[in-house]
Amino acid sequence: MPMYQQGDSRSSEHALQNGEVDPAVSALEARQDEILRKLYELKAAVEGLAKTVTTPDADLDVTVSSSFSSQSSRSIMLEGSTDLDTLLGEDLGALRDIVINANPARPPLTLLVLHSLLSQRYRVLSTVHVHSSVSSVPPQLQSCLGPRHPDSYARHLFQLGFTLIWKDVPKLEMKFSVHNMCPIEGEASVARFLFKLLAPYPSDPAAATLVDSWVDTAFFQLAEGSSKERAAVLRALNSALGRSPWLSGPEFSLADVACYCCVLQSCAASSAPANVQRWMKSCENLGHFSSTKQLLQ
Amino acid sequence: MKFRSFKLQNLLIATEEQQAQSKKALKKQQKEAEKAARKAEKQAMAASEQQGADEDDFAKERYGVSAMVQSQQKLDRVLVRVQDLSPEKADQLIWLRARIHTSRAKGKQCFLVLRQQQFNVQALVAVGDRASKQMVKFAANITKESIVDVEAVVRKVEQKIESCSQQDVELHIERIFVISQAEARLPLQLEDAVRPDGEGEEEGRATVNQDTRLDNRVIDLRTTTSQAIFRLQSGVCQLFRDTLTKKGFVEIQTPKIISAASEGGANVFTVSYFKTSAYLAQSPQLYKQMCICADFDKVFCVGPVFRAEDSNTHRHLTEFVGLDIEMTFNYHYHEVIESITDTMVQIFKGLRDNFQTEIQTVSKQFPSEPFKFLEPTLRLEYTEGVAMLREAGVEMGDEDDLSTPNEKLLGRLVKEKYDTDFYVLDKYPLAVRPFYTMPDPNNPKYSNSYDMFMRGEEILSGAQRVHDPELLTQRAVHHQIDLEKIKSYIDSFRFGAPPHGGGGIGLERVCMLYLGLHNVRQTSMFPRDPKRLTP
Repeated sequence: MPMYQQGDSRSSEHALQNGEVDPAVSALEARQDEILRKLYELKAAVEGLAKTVTTPDADLDVTVSSSFSSQSSRSIMLEGSTDLDTLLGEDLGALRDIVINANPARPPLTLLVLHSLLSQRYRVLSTVHVHSSVSSVPPQLQSCLGPRHPDSYARHLFQLGFTLIWKDVPKLEMKFSVHNMCPIEGEASVARFLFKLLAPYPSDPAAATLVDSWVDTAFFQLAEGSSKERAAVLRALNSALGRSPWLSGPEFSLADVACYCCVLQSCAASSAPANVQRWMKSCENLGHFSSTKQLLQ
Repeated sequence: MKFRSFKLQNLLIATEEQQAQSKKALKKQQKEAEKAARKAEKQAMAASEQQGADEDDFAKERYGVSAMVQSQQKLDRVLVRVQDLSPEKADQLIWLRARIHTSRAKGKQCFLVLRQQQFNVQALVAVGDRASKQMVKFAANITKESIVDVEAVVRKVEQKIESCSQQDVELHIERIFVISQAEARLPLQLEDAVRPDGEGEEEGRATVNQDTRLDNRVIDLRTTTSQAIFRLQSGVCQLFRDTLTKKGFVEIQTPKIISAASEGGANVFTVSYFKTSAYLAQSPQLYKQMCICADFDKVFCVGPVFRAEDSNTHRHLTEFVGLDIEMTFNYHYHEVIESITDTMVQIFKGLRDNFQTEIQTVSKQFPSEPFKFLEPTLRLEYTEGVAMLREAGVEMGDEDDLSTPNEKLLGRLVKEKYDTDFYVLDKYPLAVRPFYTMPDPNNPKYSNSYDMFMRGEEILSGAQRVHDPELLTQRAVHHQIDLEKIKSYIDSFRFGAPPHGGGGIGLERVCMLYLGLHNVRQTSMFPRDPKRLTP
């Protein structure tokens, strides 16, 4: 099988690079085989899903796969796993666990949407904990990452861990690799990090900056701003959405996630202008925003 | 002078007896007798002096040394507890029984600090229409740690009394009687024993080292810190029982004298047992499992556990209290982990909510960060732990056991990332676990076993047990265990045994680590280690 051959050559290369005969190579191979098998299953599942979805959700799949268009679909899935290696650092043979500390007084809606997107792309082990610094957390927050995965007893079967801890923190923070990274503060920064695991930022600097500026607008002016500022943002959103289906152009991006969640949170949804209303509908049609609405009820 | 003649007679008898003895001893004895005689004379003098003075003492009925309480009478007197002395009781006349914590006489006044367990209150005897000069003198001369009965009026104070637990009131004593007199010289001073480490050095004051404390444990246990520690420990036991009982567990009692060691004979105490020898149980493991095979489903037991390890560390005792759990599960041993971790979380929550005073008291002497935990408890797999350690630069093999320093380092890494002092490490390598541990179905190098950690130190070791007699025999042979010795154990699984798992916690360690103390002897009331068998 070509898949196996590829796997073999890579792991032996790896051993050569290290300049040592690693006895763990065979174990590594076995693990890789296992991962490949899971990926294959995942791919089948995603393909099945893609067929049923007719909304702009397909756009996302297209953006992801378009950058690898020269390769066969099988190697796209493979690239998905090496993607995590290049993005998050070398695979140490253990779950890569992203820890997010959030205050239950301010649930991070954008991160929940991104979690839903990540779960579609990777095998994500999602867990919710309550830290001893908060005494009680409403049940809908405790189950905000959806029902427990049936395989959650075996952590090694997952590619990515998403651990949400409800904790008494002044500012949302993310901890990933405690050795190489300082804790990341702020919902916007964490959202940018998570979105990069899903799709590369637009390679055009202008487009990338546009996405960033929308994210800033969402968190500073919509979520924290006065009613005047909010109205101004809504007008700006309306005119931008008159020009293109999504905020940063033809493709769905982090800008849409951030702005959608902040509009929802600032309760400006009902009074929003027509283009914004239409855009919010298309966001909701993607299916990843359902948890946010439940939390706000 | 009846007393004196008795002494002389004594001396005479003694001299007769000692004629055969050496001259030196005789001389010594004589000297001592003389000394005793002189002392008696002095006392008699003091007594007569007192009597002379008593004649013009209008308050002599209001103080003194009470006759020994032999249950002569049943007084209808209500003794108020020190902790209940609050401004609401102001201007009431009350009785209370307490110890003399400190006393300080100053001319016509004498200040006392009366202590009852971890609470204390300031009291005052002042010369006036209620107390005489002699009474104040008497109060000032009561030895520290004596127990007294006091009748006093509760008075509000203008300025808070910072040194006492009851800061808003003081007592104006009207009567004071000594119920039990303490010897004048104490082996250690209570104030020295509660002084935080390091503070004494700055002020040039004494601190008491651990051995002195333990040698005089009865006095050391009176300190506010010890009082708080052992009240909290009792709370741990109670919360453990309450939580498990609510979950439908049954408490069992198991024998501690056993015929065979469960994990080889390396670290067990041997005791002679009539014509043969027996061992002291190193865990109630076998009995818990037999109860499972006898359809008790969910059992726990609280009792002594013995380890004959000759290790003199801050966390090893040779006898400690084990809190043991064993339960059947349906399909996956994580049901057991969840049950145990939930119990632990209930204990932590109970302590956090109901024992805040005790926690604060201990942290005054031994400052530490409050204990943090997650609900549900964080579970990591062994390979993840190893990966975290490797990332931190530790070189270790996949199947190596965690060394104590690595355990602590991993605890710090987990704390940094997840901010929890309590977590579970799952899927240990099979090679480092006892023979009755169930192997992992997916990877025979690993096992269905787990450790739980508090502040980076192991408090519980548990696993799914092998309930199949064939596999159990096979594992025992692999571990080179004499099958004859564990025959009855293996046989108990032959007649239908449900899948089960469990674990055992050390009570002293849990208390030590919850409070962030540094030595397990601090949380053991009468510690036993390779070098200590008394008190």
